[in-house]
Amino acid sequence: MITKTDVEQIAWLACIELDEEDMQAFTIQFNAILEYFEELEDIEAELIEEEEHNVLRADDVTASLTQQEALANAPRVENGYFRGPRIL
Amino acid sequence: MSHREHVEESLDAIRRSKLNAFITVDYEGARRQAEEADAGELDGRLAGIPIAIKDAISTKGLRTTCASKMLEDYVPPYDAFVVKKLREEGAVIIGKTNMDEFSMGTSTETSFFGPCKNPWDLERVPGGSSGGSAAAVAAQEADLALGSDTGGSIRCPASFCGVVGLKPTYGRVSRSGLVSYGNSMEQIGPIARTVEACAALFEVIAGYDPWDSTSRDVPVPHYVARLTDEIAGLEVGVPQDFFGEGVDPVVENATWEAIAVLESLGVHAKETSMPNLKYALSAYYVQAMSEASSNLARYSGIIYGHRVQKDHDWHTTFSENRASGFGKEVKRRLLLGTYALSAGYYDKYYLKARKARALISRDFQRVFKQFDALIAPTMPYVAFKIGEKIEDPLSLYKVDINTVPINLANVPSLSVPCGRKGRLPIGMQIIGDQFNEQLLFNIAFQFEQNTNNTCAL
Repeated sequence: MITKTDVEQIAWLACIELDEEDMQAFTIQFNAILEYFEELEDIEAELIEEEEHNVLRADDVTASLTQQEALANAPRVENGYFRGPRIL
Repeated sequence: MSHREHVEESLDAIRRSKLNAFITVDYEGARRQAEEADAGELDGRLAGIPIAIKDAISTKGLRTTCASKMLEDYVPPYDAFVVKKLREEGAVIIGKTNMDEFSMGTSTETSFFGPCKNPWDLERVPGGSSGGSAAAVAAQEADLALGSDTGGSIRCPASFCGVVGLKPTYGRVSRSGLVSYGNSMEQIGPIARTVEACAALFEVIAGYDPWDSTSRDVPVPHYVARLTDEIAGLEVGVPQDFFGEGVDPVVENATWEAIAVLESLGVHAKETSMPNLKYALSAYYVQAMSEASSNLARYSGIIYGHRVQKDHDWHTTFSENRASGFGKEVKRRLLLGTYALSAGYYDKYYLKARKARALISRDFQRVFKQFDALIAPTMPYVAFKIGEKIEDPLSLYKVDINTVPINLANVPSLSVPCGRKGRLPIGMQIIGDQFNEQLLFNIAFQFEQNTNNTCAL
């Protein structure tokens, strides 16, 4: 059973602020969805790692984005840098 | 007709359309590319052909939003691998299609830009998440389209809109430039009105790309050249698990009638069962949500994307950017994924889902020792009404019951129209073993040639 406080905690972990309305609706919906997922508890298979194909390319230097291209979509830019929120 | 005139027809159809199939239309770019094709400056296998691209696939210089407020103004500085391939072959990119936000949905209702509509009935959904791509092709707003399929997002709208759509083998098409949602399951794939056009587009986009670490270096056959290969004598399995509770009897009948057509062409069909498929829906959603919670962590509103006016500390700023940039379904999945991966719940949800996936894969490996291909209804029913399921997320997840097992097993599946309920199209999926797309095209081609289900709106 998930409570509204749990949803608030998960939202903090996921870095998504929720309003009161979403928090209430999500609490009800999450309980229904997680109850459905409980069918997975029956599974007692050994997890043999399936053959994975994750092959990294050679570490060669190739052309990449220019500074202008890299910054073009940033909402705030200053002196050729991304501008983030202040730390202190 | 010149390429310019042909492209203009597509652009006219889009302008008159009530479907909301496109988020961005590149009128000028499309006309310029068509003129280049007419002047002989563009050649290649797709020269002058208007193609629509799902808005989850990066197009250099052309806005790519993923149907999210988060990326409302995002303009990619590079082309996805598949888009580069299309340009090399002279295709005319006419625009970016509507979809569920970040591909999370089965109805194209969660788009920030409003729902897309089904061309056969404007009150119904086109399916999703690549709803705009399938609707555009069905309504002749484009000749071809690209979608992406993480749990059915190509096959579902292909089925609901009466067109042909392929979810390729995992690793067959590069994901480089595709905005990630459930990266261990998703593939870009072709959507077209005929099997031949679908195979022709697939031939162009398939192939190895060192920029996708999961891309496989397997030669790409000439699918179209071998389309007429003999299918008599093939063994086809019909797993009863795809005909479970909730499947509309009309859809079930249409599938069996299609199987009868194939039998008349010399295919041997036999019922079979895949008992672990009962875990597929839960296994898919736990994995997809978990992967999404990691993949979408990049949207903080700093390097690109939506950013609120006033900054606070880092955590508050990120949380506010994400709160106002993401829609409800995206938030729901990111939260559930975060929960499934959090301390104390990892073993209960994520690890169990991985185990279920392994069992499902083994079910497929077992049946493909006995059968060349499998046949099943793509969707349990025809297109439902806009608004019918959106308020109850779990009911909407259950719509994916027949499409998600394929993604968990990394195998290919081709959805083709196989009948109608009233005006609304019904689709069946032909499922094959890994890298056996050729066989799926061959079966579908013979079926198409011997029936009359091809989309004609």
